[in-house]
Parts: sequence; structure tokens; C-alpha cells
Amino acid sequence: MTAPALSVSRLTKKYGDRPAVDNIDIELPAGVVAGFVGPNGAGKTTTMAMLLGLVRPTAGTGTVLGHSIDRPADYLDRVGALIESPAFYPALSGEANLRMLATVAGHDPAPIPGLVDLVGLGGRGADRYRNYSLGMKQRLGIAAALLGDPELLILDEPANGLDPQGVREMRGLIGRVAERGRTVLVSSHDLSELEQVCDWLVLIDKGRSLYQGPTVSLLDGVVGGLVVRAQETSDTVALQRILATRGNEVASRDGRLLVDVNGADVAALAAEVNRAAFEAGIVLVELSPQRTTLEDRYLSLVDGGPQ
Amino acid sequence: MIKIINAELRRLLRRRPLIAMASGAIIFALIAGVSVFASLGDGTAGSRRGGASLAELVGAGGGTDAFAIGASFGGFLVFVTAIAVFSTEFSGGTFRALLLHNPSRLKLIAGKLAAFLLAVAGLAAVAEVASFGVSLALAPSQDIASTAWFSLDGLGAAARDFGTVFAGVTGWAVFGTTLGVIFRSAPLALGVGFAWAGPFENIVVESWSPGFRWFPGQVLGSLIRGGSVELGFGRAAATAAVYVAIAAIATLVLIQRRDVTA
Repeated sequence: MTAPALSVSRLTKKYGDRPAVDNIDIELPAGVVAGFVGPNGAGKTTTMAMLLGLVRPTAGTGTVLGHSIDRPADYLDRVGALIESPAFYPALSGEANLRMLATVAGHDPAPIPGLVDLVGLGGRGADRYRNYSLGMKQRLGIAAALLGDPELLILDEPANGLDPQGVREMRGLIGRVAERGRTVLVSSHDLSELEQVCDWLVLIDKGRSLYQGPTVSLLDGVVGGLVVRAQETSDTVALQRILATRGNEVASRDGRLLVDVNGADVAALAAEVNRAAFEAGIVLVELSPQRTTLEDRYLSLVDGGPQ
Repeated sequence: MIKIINAELRRLLRRRPLIAMASGAIIFALIAGVSVFASLGDGTAGSRRGGASLAELVGAGGGTDAFAIGASFGGFLVFVTAIAVFSTEFSGGTFRALLLHNPSRLKLIAGKLAAFLLAVAGLAAVAEVASFGVSLALAPSQDIASTAWFSLDGLGAAARDFGTVFAGVTGWAVFGTTLGVIFRSAPLALGVGFAWAGPFENIVVESWSPGFRWFPGQVLGSLIRGGSVELGFGRAAATAAVYVAIAAIATLVLIQRRDVTA
């Protein structure tokens, strides 16, 4: 088993008495694209800042790429990061800003024009940073994170300010980084985006961990309900009444019925619904499990506490 | 740290800001030279410690007297520039961005300050040469012979003036850096710096003369001028060294211990 790309145990950060991060445990296998999910103020940025040596933990231990987070100098040259909003010198061009960072880090500046192209700033790299749009600044921030070809990429809300095309490109970029065996930890509020790109999830709320593990494990087998649609719209009310009489919780939405699975076996419930409809002479044109989205699952975890 | 100095110098010494800074240094030299010679004409100048005297201008070090006297104001300019530069590094988030690429906080702040001081040293050299030229041009108007300025003693005096001025502006730069690091906000740090080094010190010393010997701004002013009536050069240098050491330690401790959240 390969060593985790990062691992923290009982990591805590308090500002006065208020815990921003509260005894959080995270272990990220090497090579995964991990989504870091939580509402505003959940502690995502603070956790990332502690991993990057910007913020000193109040308590807890951890390692990044095998080195203690107490000594960020031992691993930061192999970590690329974009945290909070991108910050560059306004009077310098995008490329000059990247050259400055490369010089400070001791990285080879030769790949900079290629990085500028890669993040979609081709042709604008010589423009002053102060003239960049929000999306362009974000792209430059990602280029800066990619300097030195890092083994671990930590991105805090990288899609901020990007247009839909930019968000798609960002997804592709993360995918390409991951294909090269790099580990990515990416936080975002856009859960549908994370669902598409991440094979690992870390969910936190109020500074505490709610879930961490493969995305498929969180969503697999979890069904929100059975979607049922009768061929004749006029049969919908009758079918709802029949199913309710049999003890099912049924809601009507957009001409469809949503039958609550309520922990039952989905296949058995589908058979039961189909049989009831058949016995009532109602023809069904749709009978399918409604998969829970990451958003639904996340909200249920936030409401229901750690699982 | 060399990498950081190199990167910072490249940023500071771009063509446009370099031209602006060099022009500023030349204008400063022009104003200092004209003011010194004009005050001689009015008969208001007493000694070099309060302004230039005729005897001093005739001497070997006369060629750079205007530079040494005017540099007191230059020190204040360095102070506010350092406040602006370093506080903006924090409020603008660039210090955080740099830390992600070089996590040694002490090297980062020391490297940036070293690069800043190298740039200041270059500008001071430009200002000194320019003020020498201005003095040379104005000397005949006061019947001052400039032959001694080109002697070995003259060059030594010029080097000494450069050394004391640079030592003084280094102190101002360290104080500015400290305020920038403490407040991490340019308006706040500039407000405090202006208020202290401007009105506060100068008003208080009018009624409390020991302030000339103890207030940091007064001490650095005396150091830059090579000593003043109230505070000799040796005492000024020693007191300034203590203040600068305290400010530098406070800066390094804050940089090392504080979370970088902006």
C-alpha cells in the first residue's frame, strides 16, 4: 500500500474559543482527485492553510508527502497551491509574475509560456495583471500552482470567477493532472462539478469531518426514491392513492410519483409498485430508482451529522 | 535568500519605475543643492549640523554636503515607501503567494528588505553624484573653490557621507518594514508612521529637548546628518543600532509566529 499523499490527525485550529477546524482527521491516498466539500465557514480554507504552512495548528499532527506539517519547507517545493483569491503584483505582467514566483522557488522558468497556454491565457501573458478579469486572475493562479510540476495540487475554489467554458476547462485540467499520477485536493461549492471530477471526497461541516472516502462509496446504492409515471396522466392520482393505501410514502411532482424507498430493497419495492399498478389496470411507462446526487447526499449528511 | 533578492530586484528595477526613481533622486539632489546654496546666500546657515556653513562647503567634503543635509528628508521618504511596500505585501496577499513557493518566512522578509535596501543604495548613489554636480555648478556663484572636493580627502568625505546616509535610511527602512508587518494595512501603517515621525516627534521635542536624543526619528535624522547639535554622531549611531535591532527582532518574531491569512 502506498503512503498517503496527506494525512492529518485531530487537526484543530481555534481563534480564541471558536474552533475553525475541530479535531479533523483526513487521509488522502496518493493519486486521487479529492473533493473538499463544506459550506462557507466549514474550515476548508483554514485546513488547507495549515497543510501549506500558512496557519499554525492549535493542535493535531499531520504529514504531507511523508513530511510533518510542522516543517512545510520539507515538502512545499513538491506542492502547488491556489488558496483564497489569487494574489500577484498588479504592475507586472502575468508571465513576469510567474517568473518571479519561479525564481523565488528555484524552479526552471522555461515551462512558463506553456503553462500560460495550458490555463487558457495564451496571448495575454504579457498583459499587466491589473488589467486581467477575475477569471483570468484565477487562471493565472492555477498556472502559478502548476509551477515546478507539483506532486500534490491543493486548489481552493479554483472555479471562482470562471465562466462555464472556463469551469469545463478547469475540470479537464484537473483530469490531465490526475492522469499523470498527481494527487489533487480541490475545494468547491459546485458539488455537481466535484461529482464529475473527483474520485475521492472529504466532507466537513462546522470544522468537523462528516465523510471521507471514495465518491462511489458515498453515492453507490443510495437511492432517493422510485420514480413512477403512468402512461395516462389521469391515472396518476389513482396510483398515488393505491400506493399510499399500501403504506408507501408517495409524493407527486411534475406528473410523476416519487415513492420513498425508506430503507427497503429497491428492487422489491419496484416489483411491488409494478404489481399494484398492474392489478389496478394502470400501465407504467417509467419505473426507475432516483439516484441521490452529491448535493442531496451532502445536505443529508450536514443535517444528519457524521456517518 | 539570493533567489529572493534576485526576484525582488527584478521587480523593483523595471525600466519605468527605475526611470521614475532615478528622476526623483536627481530632482531631490537639485532641490537639496539649490536650498543649501540659497541658505548660504541668506546667511541663515550655521553649521553642517543645522545646515551648511561656508567653511564646510569650501572644505574637502563640501561637494556632498547638500546630499548629506537633504538626506534627512530622503530618510523619511524611504520610511513611508517601506511602509507602503511591505504592508501591501500582506494586504494584497503577495506575501502569502510567495510563501507558497518559498516557505522560509525569515529569508523572504530579509531578502525583500535586502533588495529594497540595494535599490535605495543605488538611488542614494545617484542622488549623491547628482548633488555633487549641482554643488559644482553652483559653487562659483558663492565664490567657493571646489578644488578640494576632488582630493583624496574629498572622496573619503563623500564615501563617509554615503555611509552615514545609507546607515540612516537603512534604519528608516527597517522601521517602515516593522510598521508594515505589524499593521499589514498600508493606510493604517502610513497613518501611524506619519503621525509619529512627523507631528508627534517634532512637536514634543520643541518642549522636551531629550526627545532629540531618544526619539527614533530624531536619532536617525542626526545619524544621517553625521551628528547634530543635540546628538553627536557616535551616540546617534549607537542609539539607532539599538532601535533598529529591537525593530528587526520584533519584525522577525511577528513574521515567524503569525498566521498568514490575507
